[in-house]
Amino acid sequence: MSRPERRHALHSEPDQEPDLSALLAQVARGDHRAFELVYGELAGPVYGVVRQVLRDPAQSEEVAQEVLLEIWRTASRFDPDRGSAAAWALTIAHRRAVDRVRTESASSRREQKAAPDLVHEQDVAEVVTTSLECQRVRRCLDSLTELQRESIKLAYYRGYSYPQVAQLLGVALGTVKTRIRDGLIRMRDCMEVTW
Amino acid sequence: MRDDLHVLTGSYVLDAISDGEREEFERHLQACLSCDAEVRGLRETAARLALARTVAPPARMEQRVLAATYQTRQLPPVAGDHLRTARERRRVQAERVFAPRPAYWPPRPASWPRRLAVAAAAASVAAAVSLGVAQLSTQHQLDTVRASGAEIARVVTAPDAHVATARTGARGSVTVVTSAALRESVVSATGMAALAAGRVYQVWVMSPAGARSAGLLTGTQLLASAVAPGDRIGITVEPAGGTTRPTTTPVAVLST
Repeated sequence: MSRPERRHALHSEPDQEPDLSALLAQVARGDHRAFELVYGELAGPVYGVVRQVLRDPAQSEEVAQEVLLEIWRTASRFDPDRGSAAAWALTIAHRRAVDRVRTESASSRREQKAAPDLVHEQDVAEVVTTSLECQRVRRCLDSLTELQRESIKLAYYRGYSYPQVAQLLGVALGTVKTRIRDGLIRMRDCMEVTW
Repeated sequence: MRDDLHVLTGSYVLDAISDGEREEFERHLQACLSCDAEVRGLRETAARLALARTVAPPARMEQRVLAATYQTRQLPPVAGDHLRTARERRRVQAERVFAPRPAYWPPRPASWPRRLAVAAAAASVAAAVSLGVAQLSTQHQLDTVRASGAEIARVVTAPDAHVATARTGARGSVTVVTSAALRESVVSATGMAALAAGRVYQVWVMSPAGARSAGLLTGTQLLASAVAPGDRIGITVEPAGGTTRPTTTPVAVLST
């Protein structure tokens, strides 16, 4: 049989993600169906990272919705030459979550609503812990020094600013900035991130 | 390059700096090529940290977001960026080149985007793939499972058996019966197009971590084991003998 071969490989470009990038280009042209697919791919990671930072499920849902709508709204601004589509989307998601944390702590509402760490245990259960990606991240985090690891986790997963991280860890501001940077560089190399 | 600013690359991608510092740093980025390159790499790294925390969102979220897109005007592209435009043109051309012939690749059933979205019990494999996670995928694992009739019957008759059926991009249809308790799925195909010599249908268990081969679909049925909640079953066309990870777009993706 000489049926045409479909050569649109999922991994035709090792550093790029033809699918998600191409879908975002379609979304930028107003394609709602393409957006449904983008939603299918990004809703879990977006909700996951927002929830990690905010903890509160209702608030996380609200912010994740805003982020996904923002992806629809600003799809035309995604530039595949500047990074992966997932990194673009998750940057928006994390920043939105952190903005929410900072706004809330400014008005001290967050302290009142602060969820106990019990919620955290639940989060862990919901996270797809079996994924290889998870294991890889954990293994690479373990390869860092304790100061690097704690600085990165407090900053990224808890949404703290580096001065707050410095205060929590009892180290100088400059030290935290440096440890976050060299820790992330080590993570990047450990995870063999390409960009 | 100002060292005091350069050291902020990490804190910048983790959103751990103040708004004022962010503005200053972003101005600096425009002029500092090495900072910009570093920021890109660290941003991809931070995305991995996020991906490792993937959580299935509440199902109701999807309809709300999709409905909201119909009431939200999109931003126009940044005008005058002809590089982007040229690139965009190339991509559109590429899409046309790769566009399948209608006879071979019928329009997707309307249900499949929905299924994809609803099955977002975690991130889809595409999100994982987009981060290059496929490289981390399990090693050569082409243990074609020769499931006995009894094993298949056990899954199909399990009290919690869940059935999903879809037409495939290669004609015919695929049915996946999954028992979450047994962590096994039976994949059955009927009427799928015969392949050219040297090509096979390969079945994948797709998780946020990537796709793991469940074997080659040599007969009409195949048993996939170690199926986790939220995993999906995908079928691709691969070279004879199979591959370690999918190299073509799946002809079918089903929830388990």
